Amino acid sequence: MYRKRLFDEMVSLGLDSLGIIMVISVFMGAVITIQTAANIDSAFIPTYTIGFTARQSTILEFSPTIMALILAGKIGSNIASEIGLMRVTEQIDALEIMGVNSSAYLILPKIVAAVLISPFLVIISMFVSIGGGYLIAALTDIVTIANYEYGVQLDFRMYHVVYSLSKSAVFAFIFTSVPAYQGYYASGSALEVGKASTRGVVQSSIIILVVNYFITQIFLI
Amino acid sequence: MIEVNNLSKTFGEKHVLKDINVRFEAGVTNLIIGASGSGKSTLARCLVGLVEPEKGEVLYDGRDFVHMKNKERKDVRKEMGFLFQGSALFDYMTVEENVRFPLDILTSLSSKEKQMRVDQVLERVEMPDVHKLYPSELSGGMKKRVGIARAISPNPKYLFCDEPNSGLDPQTSIVIDGLIHEITRENNITTLVITHDMNSVMEIGDFIMFIYKGEKWWEGTNKEMMETDNQEILEFVNAAGMMTRKQQ
Repeated sequence: MYRKRLFDEMVSLGLDSLGIIMVISVFMGAVITIQTAANIDSAFIPTYTIGFTARQSTILEFSPTIMALILAGKIGSNIASEIGLMRVTEQIDALEIMGVNSSAYLILPKIVAAVLISPFLVIISMFVSIGGGYLIAALTDIVTIANYEYGVQLDFRMYHVVYSLSKSAVFAFIFTSVPAYQGYYASGSALEVGKASTRGVVQSSIIILVVNYFITQIFLI
Repeated sequence: MIEVNNLSKTFGEKHVLKDINVRFEAGVTNLIIGASGSGKSTLARCLVGLVEPEKGEVLYDGRDFVHMKNKERKDVRKEMGFLFQGSALFDYMTVEENVRFPLDILTSLSSKEKQMRVDQVLERVEMPDVHKLYPSELSGGMKKRVGIARAISPNPKYLFCDEPNSGLDPQTSIVIDGLIHEITRENNITTLVITHDMNSVMEIGDFIMFIYKGEKWWEGTNKEMMETDNQEILEFVNAAGMMTRKQQ
């Protein structure tokens, strides 16, 4: 029962988010590349710095954190409203009467699915984002493809990827558990479900940003 | 049989249930009636463990549900079916999956046996062709029927129906009442129907408990109810537009 729920949630939370992740990532990588190029005035700074900066920004911050904030909006609101609606329409009571631990049945598969699938989404986001920068290099003359590729490969540290993926798993726990809590304890009407959904998204976004600060401080400095 | 002894429940300062003593027999349709806010839904929720009472006991064929451990409660819950006011069908499941769900978690039947049981109960509630539909594709009456099918699929000994006619037209209400009544007799189930629908009282009320301001005010059959001089019951019944001749 739980295994089926877990796979369903992995499809629902993971595969269904793939489209938005790819669209946002490609533009994110393109914009980082253009902005870095626009801000390099000095002739002493080599143009491969653009590729290097695009890679570092993407791996360290944009892919794990921005994706987490996007998913907090998409998945978080979905989780809070789904569980909240189940609460106000007595579906959770129905589970309890059947002897099912409703929180474990409804919430746990979502959290586990998101924690497992989120690092894969972030890896895809990293590739697509760096690919977005590559497109800019190919379509414009702000940096050559060769210099961009050299920058992307320069001083690559695997630790940064591990750090980033670990961070994304922590964020996944936050953007599923906080909205799930808000939805589970929603009461009253559809209006309350809407408020719970908003609370879930706002709180999880703030917690993600605060936790991001501490993780960065502890593991990167 | 369900026996309730000295059951009390308060929410803050408000005494919602006061020393309820009642006995619901198997094979008959037991009705709990009363005005909105009288405590009938809270009583039902205390009986199934969704709300914990402050005092008293609920005996399921002699087993004290209130004071037993969670693990033992699970065993009793396996013998319960509950039809919710809004049906409470799981939105993300098809009709077939909804009806199969209690079988998946409460029984060790094989997949083939489960499928046969699902077909059987959907046939019983006269919904044989809706297996693949989702609850959002069903009408209110159809949802109630599927809700009944889900409640009876694991062959419960105790069936609870919370306002089974709410939101239904009078004709569909009669059909749903009839279905609950027939299933109760066919399977010798202890059925409790929480309602304020006087048509249900007259149609299927083998045993009626009238609850007034959290207290058990009266009990008897629907025929006895027609003869009673109890003022609160007369007011309740007259407000429902029934027994007007008696009032005159």
